Amino acid sequence: MPALFFPRRYPPLLRVAVLILLTVFVSVSSEKHPNIGNVSLTIAYPVQWISMQGARLWRQTDHYLQSRAALESENVRLRAELVRAQPKLLEADILRDENRQLLALLDSIPHPPGKVAVAQIIAQNFAPGSQLLVANLGTRAGVFVGQPVLAAGGVAGQVVRVSPESCQVALLSDLDSSIPVKPAGSDTPLLVDGTGNLDSLTVPFQPRNTPLKVGDKLVTSGLGGRYPAGLNVGTISAVIHNGDQPFARIAVRPAVHLGRLGTVLMLWDSPASQPAAAP
Amino acid sequence: MIVVVVVLGFFFALTAEAIPCGPFYALLHPDFVALLLLYWAISSASELSFTVVWLIGLLQDMVLGDVLGAQAIAGVVMIYLLYTGIARVRSLASWEQLFFIFVLLLAHRLLVWLWQVWAGTVTWHFSLLLGPLIGALLWPLFTLTLDYLRHALRLNHT
Repeated sequence: MPALFFPRRYPPLLRVAVLILLTVFVSVSSEKHPNIGNVSLTIAYPVQWISMQGARLWRQTDHYLQSRAALESENVRLRAELVRAQPKLLEADILRDENRQLLALLDSIPHPPGKVAVAQIIAQNFAPGSQLLVANLGTRAGVFVGQPVLAAGGVAGQVVRVSPESCQVALLSDLDSSIPVKPAGSDTPLLVDGTGNLDSLTVPFQPRNTPLKVGDKLVTSGLGGRYPAGLNVGTISAVIHNGDQPFARIAVRPAVHLGRLGTVLMLWDSPASQPAAAP
Repeated sequence: MIVVVVVLGFFFALTAEAIPCGPFYALLHPDFVALLLLYWAISSASELSFTVVWLIGLLQDMVLGDVLGAQAIAGVVMIYLLYTGIARVRSLASWEQLFFIFVLLLAHRLLVWLWQVWAGTVTWHFSLLLGPLIGALLWPLFTLTLDYLRHALRLNHT
Protein backbone atom coordinates (compact mmCIF):
# COMPACT_ATOMS: atom_id res chain seq x y z
CA MET A 1 0.00 0.00 0.00
CA PRO A 2 1.32 3.47 -0.77
CA ALA A 3 2.16 5.79 2.10
CA LEU A 4 -0.42 8.52 1.79
CA PHE A 5 -0.12 11.99 3.29
CA PHE A 6 2.62 11.15 5.77
CA PRO A 7 6.17 10.65 4.63
CA ARG A 8 7.58 7.55 6.27
CA ARG A 9 10.65 9.39 7.53
CA TYR A 10 8.82 10.49 10.69
CA PRO A 11 8.85 7.96 13.55
CA PRO A 12 5.62 5.94 13.93
CA LEU A 13 4.90 7.30 17.40
CA LEU A 14 4.86 10.85 16.03
CA ARG A 15 2.53 9.86 13.21
CA VAL A 16 0.17 8.18 15.69
CA ALA A 17 0.28 11.22 17.98
CA VAL A 18 -0.64 13.56 15.12
CA LEU A 19 -3.56 11.28 14.16
CA ILE A 20 -4.76 11.23 17.78
CA LEU A 21 -4.82 15.04 17.82
CA LEU A 22 -6.65 15.03 14.50
CA THR A 23 -9.21 12.58 15.92
CA VAL A 24 -9.83 14.80 18.96
CA PHE A 25 -10.40 17.71 16.60
CA VAL A 26 -12.79 15.70 14.39
CA SER A 27 -14.73 14.33 17.38
CA VAL A 28 -15.13 17.69 19.07
CA SER A 29 -16.17 19.49 15.90
CA SER A 30 -18.66 16.73 14.99
CA GLU A 31 -20.25 17.08 18.44
CA LYS A 32 -20.49 20.83 17.99
CA HIS A 33 -21.80 20.97 14.45
CA PRO A 34 -24.77 18.66 13.77
CA ASN A 35 -24.24 19.20 10.04
CA ILE A 36 -21.09 17.06 10.12
CA GLY A 37 -23.24 14.19 11.37
CA ASN A 38 -25.72 14.70 8.55
CA VAL A 39 -22.94 14.77 5.94
CA SER A 40 -21.36 11.61 7.36
CA LEU A 41 -24.75 9.91 7.15
CA THR A 42 -24.84 10.81 3.45
CA ILE A 43 -21.38 9.34 2.88
CA ALA A 44 -22.36 6.15 4.71
CA TYR A 45 -25.54 5.63 2.69
CA PRO A 46 -24.14 3.33 -0.06
CA VAL A 47 -22.59 0.97 2.49
CA GLN A 48 -25.80 0.92 4.52
CA TRP A 49 -27.87 0.30 1.42
CA ILE A 50 -25.82 -2.79 0.61
CA SER A 51 -26.08 -3.96 4.21
CA MET A 52 -29.86 -3.68 3.98
CA GLN A 53 -29.82 -5.93 0.91
CA GLY A 54 -27.81 -8.40 2.97
CA ALA A 55 -30.34 -8.28 5.78
CA ARG A 56 -33.18 -8.74 3.32
CA LEU A 57 -31.49 -11.81 1.84
CA TRP A 58 -31.00 -13.15 5.37
CA ARG A 59 -34.66 -12.65 6.20
CA GLN A 60 -35.76 -14.29 2.95
CA THR A 61 -33.67 -17.39 3.60
CA ASP A 62 -35.07 -17.46 7.10
CA HIS A 63 -38.61 -17.41 5.71
CA TYR A 64 -37.74 -20.02 3.12
CA LEU A 65 -36.41 -22.34 5.79
CA GLN A 66 -39.59 -22.14 7.83
CA SER A 67 -41.49 -25.33 7.23
CA ARG A 68 -44.85 -25.39 5.49
CA ALA A 69 -46.50 -26.80 8.59
CA ALA A 70 -45.27 -23.93 10.74
CA LEU A 71 -46.64 -21.46 8.19
CA GLU A 72 -50.00 -23.23 8.05
CA SER A 73 -50.40 -23.25 11.82
CA GLU A 74 -49.38 -19.59 11.92
CA ASN A 75 -51.98 -18.85 9.25
CA VAL A 76 -54.71 -20.54 11.30
CA ARG A 77 -53.66 -18.65 14.41
CA LEU A 78 -53.59 -15.29 12.57
CA ARG A 79 -57.05 -15.93 11.08
CA ALA A 80 -58.45 -16.64 14.53
CA GLU A 81 -56.81 -13.48 15.82
CA LEU A 82 -58.28 -11.49 12.95
CA VAL A 83 -61.78 -12.76 13.71
CA ARG A 84 -61.31 -11.82 17.35
CA ALA A 85 -59.90 -8.40 16.46
CA GLN A 86 -62.67 -7.46 14.00
CA PRO A 87 -65.30 -6.45 16.59
CA LYS A 88 -62.65 -4.59 18.57
CA LEU A 89 -61.68 -2.62 15.46
CA LEU A 90 -65.29 -1.73 14.86
CA GLU A 91 -65.60 -0.67 18.46
CA ALA A 92 -62.46 1.42 18.14
CA ASP A 93 -63.90 3.15 15.05
CA ILE A 94 -67.05 4.04 16.92
CA LEU A 95 -65.09 5.23 19.92
CA ARG A 96 -62.80 7.35 17.76
CA ASP A 97 -65.75 9.07 16.12
CA GLU A 98 -67.35 9.64 19.47
CA ASN A 99 -64.07 10.90 20.91
CA ARG A 100 -63.61 13.31 18.03
CA GLN A 101 -67.07 14.72 18.59
CA LEU A 102 -66.44 15.14 22.31
CA LEU A 103 -63.06 16.77 21.68
CA ALA A 104 -64.64 19.09 19.14
CA LEU A 105 -67.16 20.05 21.80
CA LEU A 106 -64.34 20.71 24.25
CA ASP A 107 -62.51 22.61 21.50
CA SER A 108 -59.24 20.95 22.42
CA ILE A 109 -56.65 18.84 20.62
CA PRO A 110 -58.19 19.28 17.20
CA HIS A 111 -55.56 17.05 15.61
CA PRO A 112 -56.62 14.90 12.72
CA PRO A 113 -54.22 11.95 12.44
CA GLY A 114 -51.00 13.07 10.73
CA LYS A 115 -49.36 11.76 7.58
CA VAL A 116 -47.19 8.66 7.84
CA ALA A 117 -44.66 6.98 5.58
CA VAL A 118 -43.17 3.50 5.84
CA ALA A 119 -39.38 3.28 6.06
CA GLN A 120 -37.06 0.26 6.00
CA ILE A 121 -34.31 -0.14 8.57
CA ILE A 122 -31.02 -0.30 6.66
CA ALA A 123 -28.40 -0.29 9.42
CA GLN A 124 -28.12 -0.79 13.14
CA ASN A 125 -25.67 0.12 15.85
CA PHE A 126 -26.45 -1.46 19.20
CA ALA A 127 -23.86 -0.84 21.88
CA PRO A 128 -24.46 -0.80 25.62
CA GLY A 129 -26.05 2.63 25.96
CA SER A 130 -26.36 3.67 22.37
CA GLN A 131 -29.17 2.27 20.27
CA LEU A 132 -29.24 3.78 16.83
CA LEU A 133 -30.89 2.65 13.61
CA VAL A 134 -30.70 4.04 10.10
CA ALA A 135 -33.88 4.13 8.01
CA ASN A 136 -34.10 4.66 4.27
CA LEU A 137 -36.10 7.91 4.12
CA GLY A 138 -34.41 11.29 4.26
CA THR A 139 -34.88 14.99 3.61
CA ARG A 140 -36.02 14.20 0.10
CA ALA A 141 -39.08 12.49 1.61
CA GLY A 142 -39.54 15.38 4.03
CA VAL A 143 -37.96 13.72 7.07
CA PHE A 144 -36.63 16.20 9.65
CA VAL A 145 -34.57 16.06 12.85
CA GLY A 146 -36.80 15.46 15.84
CA GLN A 147 -39.47 13.63 13.86
CA PRO A 148 -41.36 10.94 15.81
CA VAL A 149 -40.80 7.38 14.59
CA LEU A 150 -43.47 4.76 15.27
CA ALA A 151 -43.56 0.99 14.92
CA ALA A 152 -46.13 -1.73 15.49
CA GLY A 153 -47.31 -1.11 19.05
CA GLY A 154 -46.38 2.51 19.64
CA VAL A 155 -43.47 4.95 19.68
CA ALA A 156 -40.05 3.62 18.64
CA GLY A 157 -37.93 6.77 18.87
CA GLN A 158 -37.07 9.94 17.03
CA VAL A 159 -34.90 11.14 14.17
CA VAL A 160 -31.53 12.56 15.26
CA ARG A 161 -29.72 12.97 11.93
CA VAL A 162 -30.89 13.28 8.34
CA SER A 163 -29.28 12.96 4.93
CA PRO A 164 -31.06 13.27 1.56
CA GLU A 165 -31.75 9.51 1.37
CA SER A 166 -31.59 8.27 4.96
CA CYS A 167 -32.12 9.22 8.56
CA GLN A 168 -30.68 8.08 11.85
CA VAL A 169 -33.17 7.14 14.55
CA ALA A 170 -32.36 7.09 18.27
CA LEU A 171 -34.57 4.45 19.90
CA LEU A 172 -36.42 5.16 23.16
CA SER A 173 -33.93 2.87 24.87
CA ASP A 174 -30.95 5.04 23.86
CA LEU A 175 -29.22 6.51 26.89
CA ASP A 176 -29.77 10.05 25.58
CA SER A 177 -33.46 9.51 24.87
CA SER A 178 -36.20 11.04 26.97
CA ILE A 179 -39.89 11.30 26.14
CA PRO A 180 -42.72 13.19 27.90
CA VAL A 181 -45.50 10.80 28.91
CA LYS A 182 -48.49 10.48 31.20
CA PRO A 183 -50.26 7.44 32.63
CA ALA A 184 -53.21 6.51 30.41
CA GLY A 185 -56.34 7.99 31.95
CA SER A 186 -54.51 10.58 34.05
CA ASP A 187 -52.76 13.87 33.42
CA THR A 188 -49.69 13.54 35.65
CA PRO A 189 -46.75 14.63 33.49
CA LEU A 190 -43.88 12.16 33.57
CA LEU A 191 -40.73 11.41 31.61
CA VAL A 192 -39.55 8.07 30.30
CA ASP A 193 -35.78 7.83 29.85
CA GLY A 194 -33.72 5.27 27.98
CA THR A 195 -31.43 3.06 30.04
CA GLY A 196 -29.28 1.71 27.24
CA ASN A 197 -31.10 -1.60 27.58
CA LEU A 198 -33.35 -2.58 24.67
CA ASP A 199 -36.20 -3.99 26.76
CA SER A 200 -36.28 -1.71 29.75
CA LEU A 201 -36.91 2.03 30.06
CA THR A 202 -37.20 4.01 33.26
CA VAL A 203 -39.24 6.82 34.84
CA PRO A 204 -36.75 9.06 36.66
CA PHE A 205 -37.21 11.09 39.85
CA GLN A 206 -40.37 9.53 41.22
CA PRO A 207 -40.76 9.80 45.00
CA ARG A 208 -40.90 6.59 47.01
CA ASN A 209 -44.63 7.02 47.61
CA THR A 210 -45.29 7.28 43.87
CA PRO A 211 -48.83 6.37 42.84
CA LEU A 212 -47.48 4.53 39.79
CA LYS A 213 -47.88 0.77 39.95
CA VAL A 214 -46.98 -2.29 37.93
CA GLY A 215 -49.22 -2.65 34.88
CA ASP A 216 -49.87 1.08 34.36
CA LYS A 217 -49.80 2.03 30.68
CA LEU A 218 -47.85 5.11 29.72
CA VAL A 219 -48.78 7.20 26.65
CA THR A 220 -47.20 10.32 25.19
CA SER A 221 -48.50 13.47 26.86
CA GLY A 222 -47.89 15.78 23.91
CA LEU A 223 -45.93 18.17 26.12
CA GLY A 224 -42.98 19.72 24.35
CA GLY A 225 -44.77 19.41 21.04
CA ARG A 226 -42.43 16.79 19.61
CA TYR A 227 -44.65 13.72 19.92
CA PRO A 228 -48.41 13.98 19.45
CA ALA A 229 -50.43 13.03 22.53
CA GLY A 230 -51.82 9.55 23.16
CA LEU A 231 -49.24 7.27 21.51
CA ASN A 232 -48.31 4.08 23.35
CA VAL A 233 -44.89 4.18 24.99
CA GLY A 234 -44.86 1.25 27.38
CA THR A 235 -46.12 -0.51 30.47
CA ILE A 236 -44.64 -0.28 33.95
CA SER A 237 -43.09 -3.66 34.69
CA ALA A 238 -41.53 -3.02 38.10
CA VAL A 239 -41.61 -0.43 40.88
CA ILE A 240 -38.80 -0.88 43.36
CA HIS A 241 -38.72 1.09 46.60
CA ASN A 242 -35.18 0.75 47.77
CA GLY A 243 -34.56 1.45 51.46
CA ASP A 244 -32.11 4.31 51.44
CA GLN A 245 -32.63 5.61 47.89
CA PRO A 246 -34.48 8.95 47.64
CA PHE A 247 -36.34 7.89 44.50
CA ALA A 248 -38.25 4.81 43.47
CA ARG A 249 -36.72 2.78 40.66
CA ILE A 250 -39.34 2.25 37.97
CA ALA A 251 -38.85 -0.08 35.02
CA VAL A 252 -40.96 0.34 31.89
CA ARG A 253 -41.34 -2.33 29.21
CA PRO A 254 -41.49 -0.54 25.84
CA ALA A 255 -44.66 -1.07 23.80
CA VAL A 256 -42.53 -1.70 20.71
CA HIS A 257 -40.17 -4.66 20.37
CA LEU A 258 -37.18 -2.35 19.84
CA GLY A 259 -34.66 -5.06 19.02
CA ARG A 260 -36.51 -6.45 16.02
CA LEU A 261 -37.55 -3.49 13.95
CA GLY A 262 -37.56 -4.15 10.20
CA THR A 263 -39.92 -1.39 9.13
CA VAL A 264 -40.92 1.77 10.94
CA LEU A 265 -43.46 4.55 10.39
CA MET A 266 -42.29 8.13 10.05
CA LEU A 267 -44.98 10.42 11.44
CA TRP A 268 -45.77 13.94 10.32
CA ASP A 269 -48.04 15.41 12.90
CA SER A 270 -50.60 17.76 11.41
CA PRO A 271 -49.87 21.35 12.45
CA ALA A 272 -51.78 22.37 15.55
CA SER A 273 -52.95 25.60 13.94
CA GLN A 274 -54.93 23.63 11.39
CA PRO A 275 -58.40 22.97 12.79
CA ALA A 276 -59.88 19.50 12.46
CA ALA A 277 -62.56 18.84 9.92
CA ALA A 278 -65.88 18.63 11.69
CA PRO A 279 -66.96 15.00 12.00
CA MET B 1 -5.92 -5.97 -8.77
CA ILE B 2 -4.74 -6.23 -5.17
CA VAL B 3 -6.08 -2.74 -4.44
CA VAL B 4 -9.52 -3.72 -5.78
CA VAL B 5 -9.57 -6.84 -3.61
CA VAL B 6 -8.49 -4.93 -0.50
CA VAL B 7 -11.07 -2.18 -1.06
CA LEU B 8 -13.84 -4.71 -1.73
CA GLY B 9 -12.86 -6.63 1.40
CA PHE B 10 -13.15 -3.55 3.58
CA PHE B 11 -16.41 -2.62 1.89
CA PHE B 12 -17.93 -5.99 2.79
CA ALA B 13 -16.50 -5.81 6.31
CA LEU B 14 -18.19 -2.42 6.74
CA THR B 15 -21.54 -3.71 5.52
CA ALA B 16 -21.23 -6.69 7.87
CA GLU B 17 -20.73 -4.26 10.76
CA ALA B 18 -23.95 -2.38 10.10
CA ILE B 19 -26.22 -5.15 8.83
CA PRO B 20 -29.51 -4.88 10.76
CA CYS B 21 -29.87 -8.44 12.07
CA GLY B 22 -31.09 -7.73 15.58
CA PRO B 23 -29.54 -7.36 19.02
CA PHE B 24 -27.93 -10.81 19.23
CA TYR B 25 -25.92 -10.23 16.12
CA ALA B 26 -24.92 -6.81 17.46
CA LEU B 27 -23.76 -8.45 20.67
CA LEU B 28 -21.83 -11.36 19.20
CA HIS B 29 -20.36 -10.26 15.91
CA PRO B 30 -16.62 -9.60 15.88
CA ASP B 31 -15.26 -6.33 14.52
CA PHE B 32 -14.70 -7.44 10.92
CA VAL B 33 -12.93 -4.25 9.93
CA ALA B 34 -10.42 -4.60 12.77
CA LEU B 35 -9.85 -8.27 11.87
CA LEU B 36 -9.22 -7.34 8.25
CA LEU B 37 -6.82 -4.56 9.28
CA LEU B 38 -4.88 -7.06 11.42
CA TYR B 39 -4.84 -9.58 8.59
CA TRP B 40 -3.38 -7.17 6.05
CA ALA B 41 -0.93 -5.72 8.56
CA ILE B 42 0.43 -9.16 9.40
CA SER B 43 0.40 -10.74 5.96
CA SER B 44 1.57 -7.90 3.70
CA ALA B 45 5.30 -7.33 3.65
CA SER B 46 5.08 -3.54 3.43
CA GLU B 47 3.87 -1.40 6.29
CA LEU B 48 0.27 -0.20 6.34
CA SER B 49 -0.11 3.57 6.28
CA PHE B 50 -1.55 4.88 9.54
CA THR B 51 -3.43 7.52 7.57
CA VAL B 52 -5.22 4.89 5.51
CA VAL B 53 -6.06 2.92 8.67
CA TRP B 54 -7.40 6.14 10.19
CA LEU B 55 -9.54 6.91 7.14
CA ILE B 56 -11.01 3.39 7.13
CA GLY B 57 -11.89 3.81 10.81
CA LEU B 58 -13.49 7.17 10.10
CA LEU B 59 -15.64 5.61 7.37
CA GLN B 60 -16.67 2.90 9.85
CA ASP B 61 -17.68 5.62 12.32
CA MET B 62 -19.81 7.21 9.64
CA VAL B 63 -21.50 3.92 8.79
CA LEU B 64 -22.19 3.11 12.44
CA GLY B 65 -23.28 6.69 13.09
CA ASP B 66 -21.77 6.95 16.53
CA VAL B 67 -19.27 9.58 17.69
CA LEU B 68 -16.90 10.40 14.83
CA GLY B 69 -13.31 9.28 15.41
CA ALA B 70 -13.78 6.38 17.85
CA GLN B 71 -13.07 3.56 15.40
CA ALA B 72 -10.47 5.68 13.61
CA ILE B 73 -8.29 6.18 16.67
CA ALA B 74 -8.81 2.63 17.92
CA GLY B 75 -7.68 1.23 14.54
CA VAL B 76 -4.54 3.37 14.45
CA VAL B 77 -3.51 2.50 18.02
CA MET B 78 -4.23 -1.20 17.45
CA ILE B 79 -2.05 -1.31 14.33
CA TYR B 80 0.66 0.67 16.14
CA LEU B 81 0.62 -1.87 18.98
CA LEU B 82 0.79 -4.70 16.46
CA TYR B 83 3.82 -3.16 14.75
CA THR B 84 5.73 -2.98 18.03
CA GLY B 85 5.79 -6.78 18.09
CA ILE B 86 5.20 -7.59 14.42
CA ALA B 87 8.28 -9.82 13.99
CA ARG B 88 7.22 -12.10 16.83
CA VAL B 89 3.59 -12.27 15.69
CA ARG B 90 4.61 -13.09 12.09
CA SER B 91 6.77 -15.96 13.28
CA LEU B 92 3.80 -17.71 14.91
CA ALA B 93 1.26 -20.03 13.32
CA SER B 94 -2.21 -18.56 13.03
CA TRP B 95 -3.64 -20.52 15.97
CA GLU B 96 -0.68 -19.35 18.08
CA GLN B 97 -1.40 -15.76 17.09
CA LEU B 98 -4.84 -16.13 18.62
CA PHE B 99 -3.82 -14.74 22.02
CA PHE B 100 -2.15 -11.65 20.52
CA ILE B 101 -5.17 -11.07 18.32
CA PHE B 102 -7.44 -11.25 21.36
CA VAL B 103 -5.36 -8.67 23.23
CA LEU B 104 -5.27 -6.34 20.21
CA LEU B 105 -9.01 -6.66 19.53
CA LEU B 106 -9.67 -6.06 23.22
CA ALA B 107 -7.51 -2.93 23.16
CA HIS B 108 -9.42 -1.82 20.07
CA ARG B 109 -12.82 -2.40 21.66
CA LEU B 110 -11.83 -0.65 24.89
CA LEU B 111 -10.48 2.36 23.01
CA VAL B 112 -13.71 2.67 21.02
CA TRP B 113 -15.60 2.37 24.28
CA LEU B 114 -13.46 5.02 26.02
CA TRP B 115 -13.95 7.42 23.15
CA GLN B 116 -17.71 6.90 23.29
CA VAL B 117 -17.74 7.33 27.08
CA TRP B 118 -15.91 10.59 26.58
CA ALA B 119 -18.69 11.64 24.18
CA GLY B 120 -21.22 10.39 26.75
CA THR B 121 -23.09 7.91 24.56
CA VAL B 122 -22.46 4.51 26.18
CA THR B 123 -22.32 2.59 29.44
CA TRP B 124 -20.20 -0.39 30.46
CA HIS B 125 -21.42 -3.92 29.98
CA PHE B 126 -19.49 -7.18 30.08
CA SER B 127 -20.92 -8.19 26.72
CA LEU B 128 -18.40 -5.74 25.27
CA LEU B 129 -15.78 -8.44 25.78
CA LEU B 130 -17.66 -11.01 23.68
CA GLY B 131 -16.86 -9.41 20.31
CA PRO B 132 -13.05 -9.54 20.75
CA LEU B 133 -13.27 -13.08 22.16
CA ILE B 134 -15.29 -14.37 19.21
CA GLY B 135 -13.08 -12.42 16.80
CA ALA B 136 -9.97 -14.07 18.22
CA LEU B 137 -11.55 -17.53 18.12
CA LEU B 138 -12.47 -16.98 14.47
CA TRP B 139 -8.97 -15.78 13.60
CA PRO B 140 -7.49 -19.10 12.34
CA LEU B 141 -10.54 -19.69 10.15
CA PHE B 142 -10.44 -16.09 8.98
CA THR B 143 -6.76 -16.19 7.96
CA LEU B 144 -7.19 -19.60 6.29
CA THR B 145 -10.11 -18.31 4.21
CA LEU B 146 -8.33 -15.14 3.18
CA ASP B 147 -5.07 -16.96 2.44
CA TYR B 148 -7.02 -19.37 0.26
CA LEU B 149 -8.79 -16.50 -1.54
CA ARG B 150 -5.50 -14.74 -2.13
CA HIS B 151 -3.99 -17.92 -3.50
CA ALA B 152 -7.01 -18.59 -5.70
CA LEU B 153 -6.91 -15.05 -7.11
CA ARG B 154 -3.14 -15.34 -7.59
CA LEU B 155 -2.39 -12.23 -5.57
CA ASN B 156 1.28 -12.13 -4.75
CA HIS B 157 2.65 -10.85 -1.49
CA THR B 158 2.86 -7.09 -1.38
